[in-house]
Amino acid sequence: MNEEIDESDFYHQDFTTASEWEVFIARLEEIVHQWKVDDLKEEDATNLIIKQGLWNIKQEKLQFVDVEFTLFYYKNTSVQHKSVEDDDDTKKCKHPLENLHDFVMYSESHNNLECPLAEWYGLNEFITLNFSSPNGIHVESQIKLLLSSTQLAINNTNCTIPIFVQIRDKWQNCYLGVYEDEQIRTNFEMIHLRKGPQHCQYLTGLVDLFKTKIMSPVSLPPITVSVQLTFHLIEFGISTWKQDLHDIDRENFDLESICALPFGVTHDPVTNLILKTTWSHLPDHLIVDSENYSDFDPMQAPKWSCYVVMTDQSLCLLSESLSDVLNTVNNNSSVYDILGDFVSSADHNLDNPLDLLTEPKLPTFSTVLKRAARNSLPKSSKGVAPLSEEVLVPILYFLFPDADDENAFPYSSNKEKDNGDNMSSSHTPSMMETECKGFKTCKENSLPWRIAIMFVQTLGMLGGPKAAAHLWFEFVQEMRFRWEKSIPIPGLPSGYPDPRTCLLNQKLQMLNCCIERKRARESRETSTPNVENQTVDPNSSTDDEEFYDCSPDKPDEEDKKRARHSLWNQPVGRLGKFENLKLIKTGDPLYIPITQDCVPKTEDQLEEDTDVLLQLGSDAQGSELRAKMMSASLLSDMESFKAANPGSILEDFIRWYSPRDWIEESELDEWGQKKGYLSSRMLISDNAWIQMWESAKPVPANRQKRLFDDTREAEKVLHFLDSRTLSQISDMLFSIGSHAAICRLYEECEQVSSVLPTAFKSLQRIIKYVEKISRNGKICDRIGGNLIQQIAALELCISQAHSLLYKLNPSRGCEQNIDPFVEKLMNGDEIEIEGTSKSYIGGRLITMFSEAQKLANMIMTEHGGLVDHHPTGNITFPHPHQREFVMRVSAVRPATYSIKSPQFLRTILSKNEFRLVGAFSEDVVFF
Amino acid sequence: MDDDILTTLKILIIGESGVGKSSLLLRFTEDNFDPEQTLTIGVDFKTKRLAIEGNTVKLAIWDTAGQERFRTLTPSYYRDAQGAILVYDVCNYSTFSKLETWLSELETYSTKRNIIKMIVANKIDMDNREVSREEGMHFAKKHKTLFIEASAKTKDGVQSAFEELVQKIIQTPDLWENYGPGSNFHLGNKEHPAQSNCSGYCNLA
Ligand SMILES: Nc1nc2c(ncn2[C@@H]2O[C@H](COP(=O)(O)OP(=O)(O)O)[C@@H](O)[C@H]2O)c(=O)[nH]1
Ligand SMILES: [Mg+2]
Repeated sequence: MNEEIDESDFYHQDFTTASEWEVFIARLEEIVHQWKVDDLKEEDATNLIIKQGLWNIKQEKLQFVDVEFTLFYYKNTSVQHKSVEDDDDTKKCKHPLENLHDFVMYSESHNNLECPLAEWYGLNEFITLNFSSPNGIHVESQIKLLLSSTQLAINNTNCTIPIFVQIRDKWQNCYLGVYEDEQIRTNFEMIHLRKGPQHCQYLTGLVDLFKTKIMSPVSLPPITVSVQLTFHLIEFGISTWKQDLHDIDRENFDLESICALPFGVTHDPVTNLILKTTWSHLPDHLIVDSENYSDFDPMQAPKWSCYVVMTDQSLCLLSESLSDVLNTVNNNSSVYDILGDFVSSADHNLDNPLDLLTEPKLPTFSTVLKRAARNSLPKSSKGVAPLSEEVLVPILYFLFPDADDENAFPYSSNKEKDNGDNMSSSHTPSMMETECKGFKTCKENSLPWRIAIMFVQTLGMLGGPKAAAHLWFEFVQEMRFRWEKSIPIPGLPSGYPDPRTCLLNQKLQMLNCCIERKRARESRETSTPNVENQTVDPNSSTDDEEFYDCSPDKPDEEDKKRARHSLWNQPVGRLGKFENLKLIKTGDPLYIPITQDCVPKTEDQLEEDTDVLLQLGSDAQGSELRAKMMSASLLSDMESFKAANPGSILEDFIRWYSPRDWIEESELDEWGQKKGYLSSRMLISDNAWIQMWESAKPVPANRQKRLFDDTREAEKVLHFLDSRTLSQISDMLFSIGSHAAICRLYEECEQVSSVLPTAFKSLQRIIKYVEKISRNGKICDRIGGNLIQQIAALELCISQAHSLLYKLNPSRGCEQNIDPFVEKLMNGDEIEIEGTSKSYIGGRLITMFSEAQKLANMIMTEHGGLVDHHPTGNITFPHPHQREFVMRVSAVRPATYSIKSPQFLRTILSKNEFRLVGAFSEDVVFF
Repeated sequence: MDDDILTTLKILIIGESGVGKSSLLLRFTEDNFDPEQTLTIGVDFKTKRLAIEGNTVKLAIWDTAGQERFRTLTPSYYRDAQGAILVYDVCNYSTFSKLETWLSELETYSTKRNIIKMIVANKIDMDNREVSREEGMHFAKKHKTLFIEASAKTKDGVQSAFEELVQKIIQTPDLWENYGPGSNFHLGNKEHPAQSNCSGYCNLA
């Protein structure tokens, strides 16, 4: 093949005077040679390989004079390539056009080569030379020069691969190419126009064009034709997916519309449905496709396939509302700063029109009267409150349903909830409960949960930070009111602050503990007047005056009769007898004393306590100090014990308190109980227990100093709530909001799981993430943003699935083959519709297309235009968006004695494009 | 000086009163045995540094009183603990029977999801044994915890008990790794073991 070089006019022996053109060829050869070497090594030694789907691409830059080019090498890795040895043995290698490739199925995920040549010609290996300049190459002589030099280089390197040179403007994707082996040369040619000539609009004309171009000296066999008509559905009409969105409007405010977080997209994520109808390998003389008549009725096409185009630009409501909260984390203003003139911190607790809300005993009559005064913000000259009453009142009733007789949103009572937990309740899926077990948030649908949701909604839809601040302000007012009026806070698990829940939940539980103790105290004060207790001012903060209040001991008749104890030594504060034990010294029954309840603490308080303990150091002295600090409750218990058991000794106390430190003997004492002795560690002289016992005075629990000061603790909680900045509030509520978002996602996942099997996996990943966030304290933009992104991605996928199911299976009947079909569509792949127009899915497509068509026709006639006339007279489908014809024939060229070689023409016709993609071969040996 | 500390771990010691919790702690932290150890009031703690696989961790070990009366108080200190040592006295069957209660207490109050548990059978130096090794091991297997027999008095098993517990915690980064920039520690270049989330295997010491 090297002899061919001689044909070139530009050939010179003297390399020192090599023309630019020779340098260019040499460089081309060098690159191609290097690629071949790399290829032989089998392993891809160069890291220069770019992967695009199934394709490997190599590229090198080179210059011709001062114009820059890039040489690309494309290779389809899914096709087994003939090795070099094979080449030698068989001599005859397969022509690259000898395939029956017609139309590639579209796939978003793979196969997508940017360069369209592979798709157009069905090539598996080729080289292109692309210019880098934006101007393109238009001059014919330049084009020729480039093509021939490239061809030369290829021949010199013995490389039988089609090679293409890009011409014209880049966007046109126009190439000229050449392929040559021992027998055949193929010229690849392309024509790209905005609009083709009239006679080339239909297949019949195009077949003629093809035949003319081939100019075979003998008559041609039938031309094999494949046809593909593509239809776009953009207007979905009633099949447009819309999330059930409630218009939040202040006039007709409907609470139901906001008591769950919003979900979904604002616009249908499916923007385009593409249907391709295909006919394959028909002989040209049996078909007609002209301006007036066409055999290609899409309804009759033997193959249907479709794919969808989806937008990822939609706004996802759920993730968006969380991101509103995240953004607010940067807002360091206090609630009072934001509300400004509406409220001054000085007088905000003076008047409390929320009375109404929390005093259910008020007659409904006055409820109506007082309604106008509901808003806690003074209605002065200061303008309109951020949340109007029409909005605020229903929200407050949602948060505090106990204030309303006909509460539409009651909290499930603790009892119900507990039962539900045991029997895996039906309304909350148990799988979710176990998945979310690690969340440090709060119970689903509890008060903190509802506040979080309302906070999200006020931020997002009801007025932004101002409205959110107003909500919080009202909430804190209500908390204060409840404390002052001793009304329990609803929607919280009973008991002490639960360290497994979030801080807000703990704080509210703490407040409830305070309210409970206050109520107990007050009810005692009113029922059994007690001189001592009446002097106690509940609001006084002087510790010394306060006594712990446990139920006053009901005088034990038996004891009363006994005169054994002198007046000052009467037993007080007995809870009940402890088994059958008798006091060692006196033989009286050993009584368990009434003791002070232990002190509820929230985690921040515990942390403070722990810090104090830690600061004492880990040496013996520190231990001793710690023991002293921890011994308040021990001392209190000893004093209660002494009060309940006059004449008791340490041994008696230990038998109740730490029975393992009392070692019994078999011998009986004078009271008929087993004798025993203290453990050795209790006998250590002057140990802390002995010391404390000696210092303990007999004082019943209700006269001891309170270990827990509910008034002070309640004030602490209220101050905590009241002093939160918007940033701190958002921070506290973000985890709960995320938890609520996950529950929402779960519900939605369940609906589409049949077509989106990965949904639960993604959800689980999000759950793990939220768990970490909920346990990590302060949320930051990066981590929160990351979470929101993950939620948005899942939300979008679910919405896409919703949309597709709605379109293809609106009745949600159990059409079994629909789910796998939708699942594949979701992946962005083109899928064949089995049964074409006769199938269920085909029927749905026809319905949607004809509806869109009806609508389009209506608009057309209204505007006085002509109804689009289709040659098949079909009114179901619009004019095809694109028509593609592929023609093939083996022809004897150029002479009658030449061998047969493949001829090829693909035409792509659409509204704005007319493209002919041809390849014409001829015999280079016998011509 | 704290630069080389990988992390600080919080470890609890719980179990019935008198099983030797404080003695085990004293043995581990000070390598000492004090027969005159007083009965713990409320909670106490000691700290110790421990080198594990080339990493130094700081341990804050919280010792608790085992009496019923203190039970309402101590769970508040369970917060954020990464590991728990549950102790019973091999010479006192009832302390072994009570383990079930202690485990559920832990389940209720620990805030970390996969807190690592180690059951220590103490006082194996004594002759009047009531709980066999097999029984202890069986229990540990059933509850998917670590298990070791030890004696605070003779030193047997004490060091290993703490080391194995810490090692297991370190292998579960979920438990101790902080979450956020700058605080993501990794152990050298070692990959975290794949089974890092499974806290259950029975170590037969
Ligand atoms: N023989 C023996 N006695 C022990 C051992 N550990 C603790 N003791 C004793 O058991 C009693 C209780 O120990 P202590 O550490 O206070 O138990 P705690 O209540 O669990 O903290 C003390 O008298 C100790 O001396 C041990 O391993 N062997
Ligand atoms: Mg102790």
